[in-house]
Amino acid sequence: MNPEFQRNIWLEASPRRIAWAGVVLALIFGATALVTKNEGALVAKAMSGVGVGIFVLCAVMWGARAAGTAVISEISDRTWDFQRLSALTPWAMTWGKLFGATSLAWLCGLTGLAVMALAALVDGEPDKGWSLVQLLAIALLVQAISMVAALIGVRKARAEGRIARAGGVLGGLIIGILLLFSIGGASGFQHGMGLTGITEMLSSHATVLWWSASVPGDLFRAVAGVVFAAWALAGAWRLMRLELQMQNTPLVWPGFLLFLALFTAGFQIAQGGLTAGLVSGALIVALCAYGAAFADPADRVRLRQFAESTRRGDLKRAAPIMPAVLAPVILTILLVIVAAVAMGPLPDGSPAQSLGVRQAVALIAFMIRDLGVIAFFRFGPRPQRGDFGAVVALALLYGIGGIVGGSIGKDFGFALFTPLGEATLVSVLSGGVQAVLAWTLAVRRIRAPEAKLSAPAPSAPASAPAS
Amino acid sequence: MIEVSDVIYDYATARALFGVSFKVDAGAVLALVGPNGAGKTTLMRCMAALDAPTQGQIRIAGIDTQDDPRGVHAAIGYLPDFFGLYDELSVHRSLTYAARSRGVPQADAEGAVLEAARRVQLDDRLNARAGELSRGLRQRLAIAQTIVHRPRVLLLDEPAAGLDPEARRSLSDLILSLAGEGMTIVVSSHILSELEDYSTQMLMIRDGQVAGGGVVAAGGGLRDGARISVTFAEPPADLAARLAGLGLTVERLDGADAVILAQADEDDAEVLARLIGAGLKVKAFQPARKTLEDAYLAEVRR
Repeated sequence: MNPEFQRNIWLEASPRRIAWAGVVLALIFGATALVTKNEGALVAKAMSGVGVGIFVLCAVMWGARAAGTAVISEISDRTWDFQRLSALTPWAMTWGKLFGATSLAWLCGLTGLAVMALAALVDGEPDKGWSLVQLLAIALLVQAISMVAALIGVRKARAEGRIARAGGVLGGLIIGILLLFSIGGASGFQHGMGLTGITEMLSSHATVLWWSASVPGDLFRAVAGVVFAAWALAGAWRLMRLELQMQNTPLVWPGFLLFLALFTAGFQIAQGGLTAGLVSGALIVALCAYGAAFADPADRVRLRQFAESTRRGDLKRAAPIMPAVLAPVILTILLVIVAAVAMGPLPDGSPAQSLGVRQAVALIAFMIRDLGVIAFFRFGPRPQRGDFGAVVALALLYGIGGIVGGSIGKDFGFALFTPLGEATLVSVLSGGVQAVLAWTLAVRRIRAPEAKLSAPAPSAPASAPAS
Repeated sequence: MIEVSDVIYDYATARALFGVSFKVDAGAVLALVGPNGAGKTTLMRCMAALDAPTQGQIRIAGIDTQDDPRGVHAAIGYLPDFFGLYDELSVHRSLTYAARSRGVPQADAEGAVLEAARRVQLDDRLNARAGELSRGLRQRLAIAQTIVHRPRVLLLDEPAAGLDPEARRSLSDLILSLAGEGMTIVVSSHILSELEDYSTQMLMIRDGQVAGGGVVAAGGGLRDGARISVTFAEPPADLAARLAGLGLTVERLDGADAVILAQADEDDAEVLARLIGAGLKVKAFQPARKTLEDAYLAEVRR
């Protein structure tokens, strides 16, 4: 048996804990049966609902917490170095932790799911199969994302010289996902924005039009859930490789970005055509660039090594330490350019291409400026406060900047501070100047500590160590 | 067995190691000494392939720490200065996990666990929870976890910190025993008396650089016959000249007390015979034990 899985089973799923969990579940289901015993057909529905509730509570929520804690507790208990020195493969370490630390949560959750399935059969609803797959995929996805967040937190904390905690990264991921759904809802990818969009998407029984194919909603959600869970597992495995001092080839991350762009484009292409698909793909990849800018450790040493290896043309050494933000930036630029070119002339013969290209360049310029602002704050003297500082700075730039711009002039002023104004040329110039300024400041900060790297003058003979 | 070449290590805002180079032969027990903050722990972590040096190369048992960090992990045992244990696991389960996670086959795990427990005198506490153990016993369990897979190289960072004298003596015995079996051991400490009993070599690190002359002999707890303390009764006025005339090098002469440096291949008894034969009245004759502190201070003076 995988020793890491075995160790987690010893700790998490001892016979005593399993027995207690069994008693609690029996009490919950017993109470449900007791309350609904005179309701006839409602008994099965109630048991099914309680079963789903227990699954969500245990496998999704408790499981996500356990998966994140599986890594973070090793740091706080000072056992992480011991684990990093083990002979276990990164994959064995990943699944051993993921399924071992959540073993009791899975046991309880699967009990709830089994009750739900049984109740569905009794209730004459045998077509719950895809829903079961969907629920299982969601639990696995959330747990894997929690582990990814913890591993990102560990890397960030190490670079920033502080104690690792998953809460911040997990919070960031949740906000990012909500933001994604908000933008998705606003862009018409789904049925509403934010939380409404999520619940609509999870409960809709309508067919989904994706890449010109009409797919039943249940089936689409189940398959998409499984695929995204697989990507999340791959992400946890890749991050675990880095923790075990192995190097990653820069293929999986760009591969995921490309998949994400194609997945997103599939919703738009049927309605808006190729350009709309490419734009939506570019939008989601650009959001990933922002995510990567926050998730990558603020590690000056690694950046210096990357810059030096690239300068020497040593791509073998440079590729594994390439900043994560580069791949989405390059892919965004490519997608935006292709979308602008593919736009073609408008029906009235106006030069839509040049307008589209200018808008695209403005968007890219502002994105690069934003990434410069994030780098500037994250590589500051107190990197542990960098993430928050960067968020505040971006909010001020867009919020206050928009107000100031609006007061200057509707088109011209607005275009100075956002890439989506009517005066696209102004946006291009303003975004470009701001990007150069932001990156000049960021590079100065990243390079600044080099002054402290020279060897110290030989100190006076040190006193003999204590004897 | 250990080759460190021009290793530089940078933290975000400061350089911790400035081109450190040295070699350690197989079977040696190297005392890595230096004041707090000298860079000992950073160097140990680089040697354990837990951190990658900014520049330079480290080879452990012929394996490059950057090309094959997992190979290095399999070849070594590393006990950090601040370590943790799985408090809820028993000693037996802790050691079983350590053995299995370090590649000991299932069939051999039980034997490896019992052997490691015996070596650190924990074989009578196999069912005790790690969280119930005293500090000294926790240290022993941590060391047992580190050696359970019989590594070729053992890296111990401040292993005796906080141990009582009896536990320190047990640790010394264990390290001598492991070294006797051919294990190459690096022990870091800023407390020289900890290292006195078992170190065969010493390397001083100061301000992130190798200080003194690199890896030097440390005595290894054995008498160094080259230095002899002599006290003369009725020393003649020309004592220094007469000792020089006998071909002896005087390190220090203070009235009737002298420290003589004999030739490396010269026997103590021969030196004594030459002194008496020259008519010098010897009141006390004590071949000096070269302590680790002597070696340390000699390196500091270089």
